[in-house]
Amino acid sequence: MIALLALPLTLLSLQQPAGASIAQRLAGRVSPELASLVVQLGTAASARGLPIDPLIEKAIEGSAKGVPAERVATAVRLVAMQLDTAAGALREGGAVPDTLVIAAGEFAISAGLSNHDITALARTGASVAALTVGLRVAGTLGAMGVPSAENIGLISAKLRSGQPTGDLLSVPARVQAEISRGVTPAQAAAGLERAAAAQARHGPPPVHPTHPSHPPAPPHP
Amino acid sequence: MSGHEFHPLIKQLLDGDITLADLPPELRGEGEAALRLLAAVDRTDISMPAVTWRVMTTLERRRRRFLPWLLAPALAIAAALVIVLRPTAPAPSAALVTVRFVLVAPDAKQVSLAGTFNQWDAQVTPLVRTGATGVWTATLTLPAGQHQYAFVVDGVRWVPDPGAPAVDDGFGRRNSVLTL
Repeated sequence: MIALLALPLTLLSLQQPAGASIAQRLAGRVSPELASLVVQLGTAASARGLPIDPLIEKAIEGSAKGVPAERVATAVRLVAMQLDTAAGALREGGAVPDTLVIAAGEFAISAGLSNHDITALARTGASVAALTVGLRVAGTLGAMGVPSAENIGLISAKLRSGQPTGDLLSVPARVQAEISRGVTPAQAAAGLERAAAAQARHGPPPVHPTHPSHPPAPPHP
Repeated sequence: MSGHEFHPLIKQLLDGDITLADLPPELRGEGEAALRLLAAVDRTDISMPAVTWRVMTTLERRRRRFLPWLLAPALAIAAALVIVLRPTAPAPSAALVTVRFVLVAPDAKQVSLAGTFNQWDAQVTPLVRTGATGVWTATLTLPAGQHQYAFVVDGVRWVPDPGAPAVDDGFGRRNSVLTL
């Protein structure tokens, strides 16, 4: 009996720090009513293993932009739903999501990717850290106008290649460079995907040491 | 937001792929104006007082141009450039990247930057006007990763960077996205 009573109290005590932390971060930045809503949503999200930062940041962003509180509340609720969608899509793909990768998935959804896209990236078997970067980059590519098929193809190829995350982070700049040469975003991504796939098959290009064309001049006496 | 985009040849000129002499006569005036505008941006020295020399020595500067042809001189806010200085080696999660934000806003009285890196506080990151061309710049050192931001013109107008990809902010506007 005592155990049955203790369980809800324990859960409440676990939730309290999340709520207090959220309230503290929102103090002075949003209205008390909005803060109350975000505490409620954030506490529930935290209990489900979802990140709270995106909720807090959206509330602060909306208030900073002078958006009416009701509209900010709607946007924060949408973020909460997208976090749930992202977490479900990642699990569907076999990933064991942490809060960072879920937040990255939420960003990807906000940038136009679907839950199926997120599941497809999770199915690459990449580490959660690499998947986090991959989702962020995929979202950026989506914002650049790269269609879903080419976007997921490129990021999947990059994730499967096992290259460092720094290489993934450079993808938007490389796509942009191709676009500036006159190709479409889809063509740019498809070209980079082919290159990534070829590199995965044959390994990275050999690095030749650079030699000076002339031997160094002897020192003057 | 821009109603004007440069001719593809002007873009090539700004990219350094062709010279002014390669332009047809009817485009040379526009090309010269674009080069002047870009030169005004490039004259601004990059200073990073908040970064220690040790961090600076770890950063090998590589300048990346972001669509300078998006400059649209006919509008009050014509364009923005983001010039990124980043290490060439793969960036570890804690790596710092120096970024220059540029907005062309000839009629603006003040311009600032708000984003995820400063808790969307429009007061803390002002841009500095460069010369009489209406080019506003700010140089920030940010952690590698992804950031969302917008320019705030005269304290009231939130303007996405036309030189960067953007996503819906959930409030009917757009946030620019920067991946470092």
